[in-house]
Amino acid sequence: MIEYIQSGRLTIDKSKHPQLTTAHDPCNYTRKSQMVLGKSYGPEIRWITQQLVDNYVDMYPPDMNNYCCGAGGGAWAMPYDKERIYYGRVKAKQILDSGAELVVAPCHNCRDQIMKGLTKEYQLPIETMYLWELLAESIVIEPWSDEEIAQATTMRDAQFERDGVVMEELEEEEE
Amino acid sequence: MAEPLKVNKKNRKLAVDAKMADLCFTCGTCAGGCPVTGIDGFDPRKAIRMAALGLDDELINSRWPWICTLCGRCENQCPMGINLMKTFRKARGLRDRDKVPGPIHKGTMMNLQRGNNLGIPRDDFLSLLADLGQELAHDGCPGFYVPVDKKGANVITTINSKEPFGEPDDMKFWWKIFYAAKEDWTVSSTNWEGVNWGLFSGDDPAWKEQVGRVLENARRLECKTLLLPE
Repeated sequence: MIEYIQSGRLTIDKSKHPQLTTAHDPCNYTRKSQMVLGKSYGPEIRWITQQLVDNYVDMYPPDMNNYCCGAGGGAWAMPYDKERIYYGRVKAKQILDSGAELVVAPCHNCRDQIMKGLTKEYQLPIETMYLWELLAESIVIEPWSDEEIAQATTMRDAQFERDGVVMEELEEEEE
Repeated sequence: MAEPLKVNKKNRKLAVDAKMADLCFTCGTCAGGCPVTGIDGFDPRKAIRMAALGLDDELINSRWPWICTLCGRCENQCPMGINLMKTFRKARGLRDRDKVPGPIHKGTMMNLQRGNNLGIPRDDFLSLLADLGQELAHDGCPGFYVPVDKKGANVITTINSKEPFGEPDDMKFWWKIFYAAKEDWTVSSTNWEGVNWGLFSGDDPAWKEQVGRVLENARRLECKTLLLPE
């Protein structure tokens, strides 16, 4: 994502998300990356988010000392729901204290916990998005040229034939 | 009166390395910073003391290693560099497999057998990608399709099985990015699972197998970049 943004391959429209935005640090990209790879990706999460929104605020404490959403380590899938929500009260307070209206979660698990768990249980006045969702919703998408479309369609049809995928054309349904 | 504890190093399952527990100062930094300190009367410090004192089975059979989310905050701040998180993960791994809570062990076995945690068949997966691809092509991204098993693509991406299973439209976020960036990308038709529950269930061989499959796909399709899209 950093490469796409830096190289100018994507055109970004920051005005799409004017609200105050904060980013959650998933344990896997801060502490555990530091342990295993010798580097926390907290700064990258912030950099990307700040290329997409003008109005950014950190939670406290950020990065390496940020709190787990409460659903890490597979807890989202485990049967200890009460404990998972109790765990998340610290994250909920961090989010509330930041004043942010949009929370960016760069991890599937964290996003589910914040969006489907904490927002409801602690009545947080927020919207939650994946980091790549925020990027996808911030870019200005230019349709491909006719030539590019024709080339892609040829490749698509060859792939469908190889894999035995039968497609119904959408046009008929739309009429 | 309770029986005195007899610490027998030979029977220890957890504290095989002195670093795992024996160095602990009992300062409580770990417990103070943990959001679930107190649940079931446990906290990270107590759990580490249990490992130090040879109460391995009591720790392994408790809910603690599973209530803990292995977030690593305690380990990050421990002044003695004790591997708290790794010890708790090890305790998870020492649980009998049929007593692993929730679906994470069953999902791991499903993944080993069928290539993803939820057992989605190849044909269903491919037609879902084709349908959603066509939807996106009609929705602002003309020419879009999901390139499957494309040899020599620049980027190969894994997919979190919860998306094709329950939230298929969420896959389109990355697809829009690929479209706008005109990326040369692909996804494997088999073993495309991006979630590694062996990591969470403490199952090292399954963890390794899953990582190996992701790499094998990238090698087979001669892709330069591996994207774990979260």
